[in-house]
Amino acid sequence: MGLVKWARIKSPWVLHFAIGGCNGCDIEVAAALTPRYDVERFGILLKGTPRHADVLTIAGSLTRQVRERLLRIYEQMPEPKFVVAVGACACSGGVFQKCYNVYEGVDKALPVDAYIPGCPPKPEAIIDGVVKLLKKIEAS
Amino acid sequence: MSEAAFQIPVGPQHPALKEAPENFTFTIDGEYVVDVKARIGYNHRGIEKAAEGRSYIQNLYLVERVCGICSIAHVSTYTQAVEEALNLEIPSRAKYIRTIIYELNRVASHYLWLGLAGHEIGFDTLFMYLWRDREIALNILEQITGNRVTYAAFAIGGVRRDISPQMVENAKSGLSVLAERMKYYKKLCLNEPTVLKRAVGVGVLKPQDAIALCAVGPTLRASGIKSDVRADDPYLVYDEVPFNVVTYDGCDVASRVLVRCDETLVSISIIKHALDHLPDGPIRVKAPRIVPPAEVVSRTEAPRGELIHYLRSNGTDKPERLKIRSPTLGNIPSICKSLIGGFVADIPIALASADPCFTCTDRMAFVNVSNGKRWVWTKEQLRRYSLKWYQQN
Amino acid sequence: MANIAQKPTGETLEVEENLKENLGSKILELKVPRNRRIFVSVEKTAFREAAEYLTKNLEFKHISTITGRDAGGQTEVIYHLNRRGVELSLRVQIPPREATLPTITDLIPGAVLYEREVHDLLGVKFEGHPDLSPLILPEEWPTGVYPLKKEWTVEKIREKIANLEKR
Repeated sequence: MGLVKWARIKSPWVLHFAIGGCNGCDIEVAAALTPRYDVERFGILLKGTPRHADVLTIAGSLTRQVRERLLRIYEQMPEPKFVVAVGACACSGGVFQKCYNVYEGVDKALPVDAYIPGCPPKPEAIIDGVVKLLKKIEAS
Repeated sequence: MSEAAFQIPVGPQHPALKEAPENFTFTIDGEYVVDVKARIGYNHRGIEKAAEGRSYIQNLYLVERVCGICSIAHVSTYTQAVEEALNLEIPSRAKYIRTIIYELNRVASHYLWLGLAGHEIGFDTLFMYLWRDREIALNILEQITGNRVTYAAFAIGGVRRDISPQMVENAKSGLSVLAERMKYYKKLCLNEPTVLKRAVGVGVLKPQDAIALCAVGPTLRASGIKSDVRADDPYLVYDEVPFNVVTYDGCDVASRVLVRCDETLVSISIIKHALDHLPDGPIRVKAPRIVPPAEVVSRTEAPRGELIHYLRSNGTDKPERLKIRSPTLGNIPSICKSLIGGFVADIPIALASADPCFTCTDRMAFVNVSNGKRWVWTKEQLRRYSLKWYQQN
Repeated sequence: MANIAQKPTGETLEVEENLKENLGSKILELKVPRNRRIFVSVEKTAFREAAEYLTKNLEFKHISTITGRDAGGQTEVIYHLNRRGVELSLRVQIPPREATLPTITDLIPGAVLYEREVHDLLGVKFEGHPDLSPLILPEEWPTGVYPLKKEWTVEKIREKIANLEKR
């Protein structure tokens, strides 16, 4: 395995984008940072800018007004990049399916590498999803 | 990892291009805020329209997700509305259990808020401690309902799960810890110079403005107004369980912090009382699917303030109209007013003091009248500006 | 224990009596379904007078929200006013083609965002409102698409905004 790949897997830099919705998933993502779960001990670092991120986690319901912004952020990420849809709304629209302003999942806007279902998923499920993604990267 | 580098990952990152709308536009003169305009289209999902096409039972799950932090408030207000339209009285035990879950959610919400407020003023250690302790409340909720954040705990006609004696014991010991810790954090806030500097005299909302602009919740009560739906318009078991309405006279951010600290303690005592006085009996009655034509105004006191649902039923299994007004919307005019005349560096904490929903307050536009400059900041950029400004001033 | 079928007492009854006495002929309908809940309907021509009476004389100074509804032949606007726990809903119906009402922001400044919301979702114009710019609809929302009107079904709205997105 190459050095770059090893580095990427050992310490993925994650950008979390809360696109709206009820924020339930965002609270659980934030909780994953707090002492009980403490994702940083797995080397998962949260970054503030797309330009340094390997992984984009998206939580919330994709509405018309956010779509552009989401695409811009995705474009700013360097290759190779990976996308994780956190929560039912990001996966498929969740409870907001058939609302006039909501898309049925973020994969209507960009390619998704991992889906973490739940409404909201518990922090353990979120961590599990990110770890599964890392295994996928490792295998590739 | 330095304090300044830490970001709570909520709210969108980066203003992308000029087309994206700002939630707030601040007109400033140097370091002072002169005017504030709000526009909050960011998170519009079309829930009220969706509710008309769904059955009353389906809407239980929709309204729970209006807001993830106070989800139970929406469910509680909604079920109350539907039950009133049905003229359906739910069992006493169900009312007690609902009250317990509602107040536990308030405790979790106020703990969450205090942590975020700490983060706004650069006090990330406080954020970590508070969110660590909040997990105790979430554990209790998870044991009672099966979930941490959104509970699916209520049914039209009662609650879905019972509370066992073991759960009562676990809850009470967890609550004692939460109360002790909150007393400690309150003392910390009252004595820590960094906190006091950022909170006392900041974001002042005079009582007459609070009333004229129809503020709600802790924002209103921190300006000395004794108004709480649980006391004025009792529902569930609030006319049986003794509790105080917390007010403070400071009218500033510090008062809003204190109101929430004390409210957390009041909630804990309400929950303990309810746990000790849980009546026997069923937890649920069967509710008809069809709701006869009626009009109901249902109000509860959510963690952020008065929550109101207006329901019009039409003799079918779907509502004719469901109107929801979240407390945050009720506080926006007041909070905007409280920013005027204050420092730009005070915007993050003053906005946060109204406990708005996360995404609601992310993008901010600025217009400086003294030099004509215009720019857009994210909440994170503004927060960094504030931290730096307060280090230098 | 707070019982949904509570009979009206005390303050609620006082307000009801007061309204009958003082707004009498202007009232189209007055319902008191339970304690602390009053529903009053007035014609558009009497609306402003009723709003002034309620806010100035009866001290209903808090507004919880304003509900707009597409009631078929009419657009219905309900003002949910509050005074110490008594929730009074003032209803007025207006023709959809001429959906205007005088603002009440001079009486209750806190109504400012609620009027904007009803304007966004149903197209009601509140005359005298300081700034009826969009509040909750997203940027570039097409004009004339009022989501709460029955004619604008979810499918129709989606179709309309999908066309806008093709760039």
